[in-house]
Amino acid sequence: MLDSLFDEVKRMNKRQFIYQVLSFGMIVSSALMIWKGLMVVTGSESPIVVVLSGSMEPAFHRGDLLFLTNYPEEPVRVGEIVVFKVEGRDIPIVHRVLKLHEKNNGTVKFLTKGDNNSVDDRGLYAQGQLWLTKKDVVGRARGFLPYVGMVTIYMNEYPKFKFAVLGCLAIYVLVHRE
Amino acid sequence: MGEKSEVVKINKWDGAAAKNAIDDAIREVLTDDLKCKETYAVIDGRLFLCTLAVGVAGCALLWDYFYPFPQSREVLIICVSFYFISMGVLTLYTTFKERGIFVVAKEKVGNIYRTWEASSYVKKHDDKYNLVIVMRDSNGKVREANITKSFANFIDTNGTIVQNLVFNEINKLYNSLSSEKKEK
Repeated sequence: MLDSLFDEVKRMNKRQFIYQVLSFGMIVSSALMIWKGLMVVTGSESPIVVVLSGSMEPAFHRGDLLFLTNYPEEPVRVGEIVVFKVEGRDIPIVHRVLKLHEKNNGTVKFLTKGDNNSVDDRGLYAQGQLWLTKKDVVGRARGFLPYVGMVTIYMNEYPKFKFAVLGCLAIYVLVHRE
Repeated sequence: MGEKSEVVKINKWDGAAAKNAIDDAIREVLTDDLKCKETYAVIDGRLFLCTLAVGVAGCALLWDYFYPFPQSREVLIICVSFYFISMGVLTLYTTFKERGIFVVAKEKVGNIYRTWEASSYVKKHDDKYNLVIVMRDSNGKVREANITKSFANFIDTNGTIVQNLVFNEINKLYNSLSSEKKEK
């Protein structure tokens, strides 16, 4: 069975094999370029994020998919939901802006809080950090799709499952002609 | 029959696999038995476009890694637009230039050069193999022949390609296209 799986690959000539590898590369790069294109269009370094915690319930639940934009000309306002990075944490946080100070020269500093949390986020920020600034912002939530992100959450919780699925897809694409 | 040809066994119910195997057999007949020389320009063109697209995507990935996003914006815009343009060109190339051609072979008869192009297609869930062979010679003559036959004419019950049957079929087409006096 496994033998016959690779039969077709073995029979390929040099050019057919190169094309097979390239078409796999094109699937990967198409996904990559769509992502990079979205980055350019939205201005956010991560235009789509998945909500990982219940700290924003009932607005967002675990597994919701958020669509972000980060246009520099749009000011941050109190009440908006921002996604921000904190030094020393890999995963960005999705929370609401609670307080905001804006200076005449346009610089802002603001404080955030999860709707479902009882205290503000100062405990989550880096040691000694009291405010967030524009450079911490990944984007602002513009739209969401409920529960779709559960797939990615499961994938990340069971990395073996993720690698199995991705591996099978990769082998299928590499082995099958057309 | 080419000595080096080994027995090719495939899953005969898999239309794409059967088509590919028959394509390969026809290529072998044209290049080995009929002593034509395969030329790779058409395939190489496609490979070049694919490599270009994947290369551009790789560049974008690397650039974005070394100069994180807001800095890399201009380069990303260029790479992304170039990538999608080259994908469009690739689609045009495969539909209008390549059109399912799986082998192009040249031969010299007297002082005339002949180019043979073979293309094939199979409809989904169909057993009919459609083959089109086009011959162009250096005098500007173009002749074309096509056949539509069931896979069963080339593959036996076990899923083995019968090289003999392929050879006979191609030889017949080859001879009729070579000898045809009148231009059609």
